[in-house]
Amino acid sequence: MDYGIEVRDQEAVIRLRGRLTFNDHAKLRALIGEMGQNKLKRQVLDLSSLEFVDSAGIGMLLIAREEMDRAAKQFILRGAAGQVKRVLTVAQIAKIVPIED
Amino acid sequence: MIDGTTQGTTQEADQTAGCRTRFAGLLAPGLAADRLTRLALALRLSPVQAPAGPAPLAVLLAGDGSAVPESDALWLPPVAAWIEPPTDTGASDTADRLAPFLAEAATSDLYLNLTTATAHDLQLGGRLLAALSARHPLEGDRRDDVELALHEAVSNALVHGNLGVAGMKELSAQELERFSRDLGDRLADPVLAGRRIVVTLRIDPAEDGRRVATVEIADEGAGFTPGPRANSGASGRGLDLIGTIADGLTIEDGGRRIRMRFRL
Repeated sequence: MDYGIEVRDQEAVIRLRGRLTFNDHAKLRALIGEMGQNKLKRQVLDLSSLEFVDSAGIGMLLIAREEMDRAAKQFILRGAAGQVKRVLTVAQIAKIVPIED
Repeated sequence: MIDGTTQGTTQEADQTAGCRTRFAGLLAPGLAADRLTRLALALRLSPVQAPAGPAPLAVLLAGDGSAVPESDALWLPPVAAWIEPPTDTGASDTADRLAPFLAEAATSDLYLNLTTATAHDLQLGGRLLAALSARHPLEGDRRDDVELALHEAVSNALVHGNLGVAGMKELSAQELERFSRDLGDRLADPVLAGRRIVVTLRIDPAEDGRRVATVEIADEGAGFTPGPRANSGASGRGLDLIGTIADGLTIEDGGRRIRMRFRL
């Protein structure tokens, strides 16, 4: 998995690309650190270029959400499609994290 | 080509567990041609440089990472077995050590036997899906779901089984850091990284005329007791996802082996 962060006026948009699995623990740690450091209140994870996510990837997204909560920031998942959307649905993540199309 | 079905190890498999795959040739990316030839002939197989033809082939994967096949062709038919040879033996008895692996492989339609260190770096779920769908096409959501189930079962066997890394319980960056550190430490331990993961896949006709794939994934870890799982932490969803996707799920050998059935 790779990611890029775009800081806009109202929100930081983090675009994830590729496959997010248990093996991406180091990148997720770095990503959570970067989301905490920028000043914006709204942190949007753009999943539209993410091709595959596993249960550990979902777990790491929930950790990111929790850390943003602690930092009093909003955390939003956006644009999930295909397998990623399917897994988010099956794991009922919408109950915990706001999901936008 | 030498037909391995009439001699040696595959003949024993024919007589015992039932031969499904009659290997004709052996590939070993990165191995010198003369060594491959000697090894293949000792195993009653033909040395093969690249996958071709209809007869099933076995691929040897070196454990040092130098010969991990990036080429997709090495994961598609006619290749039906991927074996990492034991490294603690001299070249002369590699054939003796490999023979039981090949005999086991002959009883499956697809067979994989790798160390944790090697398997960790491969996207095995995706590789297994490609190998399966080359034999029985899977499409759309079903394809995604089966890949996820295979991936989750492989990940469980490697991370929680062979490496003994506990799942992320609390939702915190510290817990992610702990997971990350444990995984790195355990992978650096040659004993744990040398533990094996064994995958067998068989495709059989089902009663209704469709086919069913049975996949078994075994590890060498401490096992676990399946039970109610808390869904509040960062880990623990994998087995539930597998249970949702698979048409049958059995945990055996004290949690060291998972058997999944998928209607195709």
